[in-house]
Amino acid sequence: MELKKTHIYGYHAEHGNVVDFGGFAMPVWYEGIQAEHKAVREACGIFDTSHMGRTWAEGPDTVKFLNYLVTNDVGKLEPFGGLYTVMCKPAGGIVDDLILYKFTPERFLVVYNASNRDKDFKWMKKNSKDFQVKLTDVSDKVAMIAVQGPKAEETLQKITEGDLSGIKRFNIGEVTVSGEKCLAARTGYTGEDGFEVFVLECPAEKPDKAMKIWNDLVGAGAVPCGLGARDSLRLEAGLWLYGNDIDESINPLEAGLRWTVKFKKPGYFVGQRALQTIKDEGVSKTLVGVMLEERGIPRHGYDVLDLEGNEIGVVTSGGLSPTLDVGIAMAFVPPGFSEIGTELQVKIRKNLVKGKVVKHRPFYDETVYGWKRDKK
Amino acid sequence: MTDEYNVLDGLYYTKEHEWAKKLDGNLVAVGVDDYAQKQLHEIVYVELPSVGAEVAMREAIGAVESVKAVSDMYSPVGGKVVEVNDGLLDSPELINDDPYGEGWIAKIEASSLDADLGKLMDAKAYREFLKSL
Repeated sequence: MELKKTHIYGYHAEHGNVVDFGGFAMPVWYEGIQAEHKAVREACGIFDTSHMGRTWAEGPDTVKFLNYLVTNDVGKLEPFGGLYTVMCKPAGGIVDDLILYKFTPERFLVVYNASNRDKDFKWMKKNSKDFQVKLTDVSDKVAMIAVQGPKAEETLQKITEGDLSGIKRFNIGEVTVSGEKCLAARTGYTGEDGFEVFVLECPAEKPDKAMKIWNDLVGAGAVPCGLGARDSLRLEAGLWLYGNDIDESINPLEAGLRWTVKFKKPGYFVGQRALQTIKDEGVSKTLVGVMLEERGIPRHGYDVLDLEGNEIGVVTSGGLSPTLDVGIAMAFVPPGFSEIGTELQVKIRKNLVKGKVVKHRPFYDETVYGWKRDKK
Repeated sequence: MTDEYNVLDGLYYTKEHEWAKKLDGNLVAVGVDDYAQKQLHEIVYVELPSVGAEVAMREAIGAVESVKAVSDMYSPVGGKVVEVNDGLLDSPELINDDPYGEGWIAKIEASSLDADLGKLMDAKAYREFLKSL
């Protein structure tokens, strides 16, 4: 099967190490994962995220429909506000995690994972039947570029008309970038400050607008980053990767996403009954952060053991943290092992490597790294 | 494509991209080759075998890892591990810089040297093999 190409593919093919990522031809790295990772933690990196799913939800029932579809409370959003949430199956398993942006009560932008593009749109469509809402998939008509890092605002501002500092965290605004009409949301997947720029009316077959913005960002000093750095950055920030940490067999209460489930919001939402039961009865496992205390790199699928050597859980995401230079992981363990400081072991090939449960959202010191860091 | 990869004459190679080099007597140096290091790209971690360990040919004796991927290292020969390259613990990137030299992984006293080497590819055969990938 031929791989799908995003708006920025021309750049990837020329400068990047391109692989098949969920059917898309995407770069894993350009110069190297470590340098790209560092650029985002220390200055500014850019990512092509045009492979992600983007759908407009419009109509008089939009708020009602979205509140039925997702677990978080859409009703509390102000215009130009964004909301992170999950949507669940009736049994409580996570269909996907997503961000909703409100423009008016009758117009929202829904942004979801690349790997779930078809599934999510069908799921939304199926659940929209009883509502007056129109869903328009614009994934191939809108390009998306993430600009991330402590210098993201400064870098993007160089090519933007309109003041970016007016867009607060998790809000979205209408801006002109490189002369083109865009939306800029102050969101991302790296733990750093930054923006996700939506390049409107930019079909994948005619990507000139998006390519111009990408090249202008490179010219303004941003470092192009691939999926490798995207993954190591989001892991350090303790952010979930669909297909690794969450999927339809996992519910939000066990995945550390309890805060996105608003049982008391108006109306019923898909999965509410099942999630209420799970909440009442308690979860059987919980997602924790693990930091290794010995050499080794934990990875997806590795077993987690207690100090006596009993298998108690499994690593869902792991790697060597480029920032901390130590093996870090997210793992499911029984609730009794979820306290910060709990000692456990990860089985790496033949070896048992000692580690501890740590605060992991994020793994790093927030006064030094990430969007909350102390400003110099 | 093979021009992209440096294959040294005089060494023996496996399909899993390890190399073996005859030293004195039955002593063999082993490591991962240029193809492996280029596939992994920036190597950030190496798991070494233990000195004194008895290993079988094709047995997993360690691993080489980048940020993104892990590649098991299989012993190209059977025998006893007599020395490992401790320098890789602090400088795993030596494998990227010099896979056949400073990036060697272990030295093995082979128990059936000629028989094992006979099952490996020489440089010419290995270049052909890389072309087929």
